Amino acid sequence: MKDEMILQVQNLHKSFGDHEVLKDINLDVHKGEVMSIIGASGSGKSTLLRNINLLEQPTGGDILFHEKSILSDDFDVTLYRAKVGMVFQSFNLFNNLNVLQNVMVGQTTVLKRDAAAAKTHAMELLERVGMAPYVNAKPDQLSGGQQQRVAIARAEAMDPEVLLFDEPTSALDPEMVDEVLNTMSSLAHTGLTMIIVTHEMQFARDVSDVVCFMNDGVLAETGTPEQIFEHPQEQRTQEFLKRYLSRV
Amino acid sequence: MSHMLKKWWAALAVLVVGIGVAGALHRTPVQAAGKDNGEFKVGMEAGYAPFNWTQSDSSNGAVKIQGSNEYANGYDVQIAKRIAKALGKKPVVVKTDWDGLPPALTSGKIDAIIAGMSPTPERRKTIDFTNTYYVSNMTMVVRKDGKYANATSLKDFKGAKITGQLSTSDYDAIDQIKGVIKEPAMNNFPAMRAAIESGTIDGYASEIPEGSSAEAANPNLKMIHFAKGQGFKTNPDESDLAIGVRKGYEYKAKINEVLAGISQKERTRIMNEAVANQPSTGNTGNWFVGLMQQYGGMLLRGTGMTILLAVVGTLVGFIIGLLVGIIRTIPRPRSMGKRGLLRFFDWLLAVYIEVFRGTPMIVQAAVLYYGSAQALHLSMDRTVAALVIVSINTGAYISEIIRGGITSVDNGQFEAANALGMTHFQMMRKVILPQAVRNSLPAVTNEFIVNIKDTSVLSVISVSELFFSGETIAGQNFQFFHTYLVISAIYLIMTFTISRAFRLIEKHMDGPKNYNVMNNQMQVETPHIGGTTTARKDAE
Ligand SMILES: Nc1ncnc2c1ncn2[C@@H]1O[C@H](COP(=O)(O)OP(=O)(O)OP(=O)(O)O)[C@@H](O)[C@H]1O
Ligand SMILES: [Mg+2]
Repeated sequence: MKDEMILQVQNLHKSFGDHEVLKDINLDVHKGEVMSIIGASGSGKSTLLRNINLLEQPTGGDILFHEKSILSDDFDVTLYRAKVGMVFQSFNLFNNLNVLQNVMVGQTTVLKRDAAAAKTHAMELLERVGMAPYVNAKPDQLSGGQQQRVAIARAEAMDPEVLLFDEPTSALDPEMVDEVLNTMSSLAHTGLTMIIVTHEMQFARDVSDVVCFMNDGVLAETGTPEQIFEHPQEQRTQEFLKRYLSRV
Repeated sequence: MSHMLKKWWAALAVLVVGIGVAGALHRTPVQAAGKDNGEFKVGMEAGYAPFNWTQSDSSNGAVKIQGSNEYANGYDVQIAKRIAKALGKKPVVVKTDWDGLPPALTSGKIDAIIAGMSPTPERRKTIDFTNTYYVSNMTMVVRKDGKYANATSLKDFKGAKITGQLSTSDYDAIDQIKGVIKEPAMNNFPAMRAAIESGTIDGYASEIPEGSSAEAANPNLKMIHFAKGQGFKTNPDESDLAIGVRKGYEYKAKINEVLAGISQKERTRIMNEAVANQPSTGNTGNWFVGLMQQYGGMLLRGTGMTILLAVVGTLVGFIIGLLVGIIRTIPRPRSMGKRGLLRFFDWLLAVYIEVFRGTPMIVQAAVLYYGSAQALHLSMDRTVAALVIVSINTGAYISEIIRGGITSVDNGQFEAANALGMTHFQMMRKVILPQAVRNSLPAVTNEFIVNIKDTSVLSVISVSELFFSGETIAGQNFQFFHTYLVISAIYLIMTFTISRAFRLIEKHMDGPKNYNVMNNQMQVETPHIGGTTTARKDAE
């Protein structure tokens, strides 16, 4: 199962003006794999995720999804995005819709499911993340942790093949971090491919198949959690982890 | 959808540019746009008694006003009837603002101007005139109990504040008074009479029939009888009244023939009759009841027209604003061809917004209505023209309001919608516009209210909205204060109702302040904010 490649990032470059943020990134993601990306602030982790689902346009290199380039002119971007979900640091729930509508809207407009089926599916997912009692609430009436769990349900509702998480817990108060991490853990190893940018080292270690360390626009080191956290080869990795773990 | 839209925009742009260019190049007189259908269409203000006024019934031989339930009467109307009869046509009165008369004539909306107009050399450049149909002498109207009531010579008006009607020879004649303070010209006689009563001017230059009418109708006013040789010196060319026609008008000679057949004695008789028949103030009982009885219908129709213009204009303008908002936020397509096309439409929309925000609505209305008739030979219904102008004009403003509303929506909302795989249109409809519209609603309400008030400028194309009706009424009953008080009250009621209604809509859009927690026995856990969080199951 792990042999099938779902996403391949090849020689990816991204510059904003003359500021080169991503410098030749190469990355293979297998189907069903849980990959964590760690690294210092400003190293380009968010930019990498945003290039993967085309919120940013790469300036060089290629990205393959099921071995097809997502950058070619005839590639259906909206269909691709429906299959590659994203969970944002700032939740980004639709402010004009309530919890249930947030989880239904993608299903009905993009996947064209009928309202009843979308609702059943949404309720199932909301129950799983513990947000079923709040179906009528508007996003601004919820805590950050609750909003993020709804956002995860919203992404899941599209039945995506890949889910991207961009620091899903770093905007949360400490006591709400766990409820979100638990939700994510329960998704791991269910066949869903996950790419998680995070500063939660313990979580990354426990849940990932692969951990990538990103430094200044390049992937400095990639390996199993054990390799990265116990026996980091690169000096930059060692320094980062030392600094990071001593802070906690 | 977007294809239709593009075509529509292209057509609009072509129309606007076309009218402008054609209007500039194509200055030759045109035939009546309405063609010769047995009607003799006469333009007049229908608010310049005793020459012409508006009344609500057909008494004393009044003539129906085109596109309204009201009638016009007065010296001009009686002359018009005689001419129409001789031409074997049916007389029709087209009620038109003073400044709208020449363009209405050159564009073929009317066949003749019979409106107490004198054939100045300036006017002769654009239109033609028949022989004199009324020999008029100039006078001055002042306050009866004022400083100038006993004046007998122009010299007595040294230091007096005097005005006259805009673009008339009367106004130019004020220069003959040495040491006079020439006030800016005013638009119409009701306004000048009100200005005398309020003391902002000491008097206005006018013609004798208008002066005697003013005197008869308003006890506070007096017409000056100048001593021989001490009054205004007038050039017959400029002060006698003639009928304006298009250059090369086929019936001009025939009209002169008819005029020659009306003797001086007969003219005096018609004028005396007109002075006697002009609507009286009817000062009986409560002024409000009186006003409503006599003019309630006119006010109601004026109010209805104002509401129609404002509601349709704002609604269509809003839809235009939404469409422009959607188009202008389309992300840059990948292919070069589409990108160029999008750029072009963006540019077109920017031009549209700048042109319609950058020019007064009164000018836009005149260009569309008179310009389209003159240059493109298009005969447009004036209500339709008014609706089109208000809608397009409002659309330009609301487009910018909506654009502001869209930019104020958090960028995360766009990204989340994109990440779900929504198309631009889906994203706009489901996520962005509902929020943008909510953000824009106070500004849109403002536009609506502005439309209620500013549609008053559409009187330039003779649309009888509330303000135009008010002017007409005040011109007849001379009760300026009372009439405009009622008009103000009606405007206030409309605008207040709108602002309240939109408050309710805003509240409704915001939804309830609270939500109900669904107590579902199926639920796995009931998290409370800051309360029990489940243990970190994956902690070491
Ligand atoms: N739209 C943009 N325009 C210009 N520069 C940008 C843009 N987005 C990101 N950058 C720059 O790219 C670099 C990497 O940013 P990125 O957000 O990817 O870092 P990150 O690794 O996610 O950091 P953090 O851990 O703080 O989220 C930064 O120097 C940032 O200033
Ligand atoms: Mg980041």
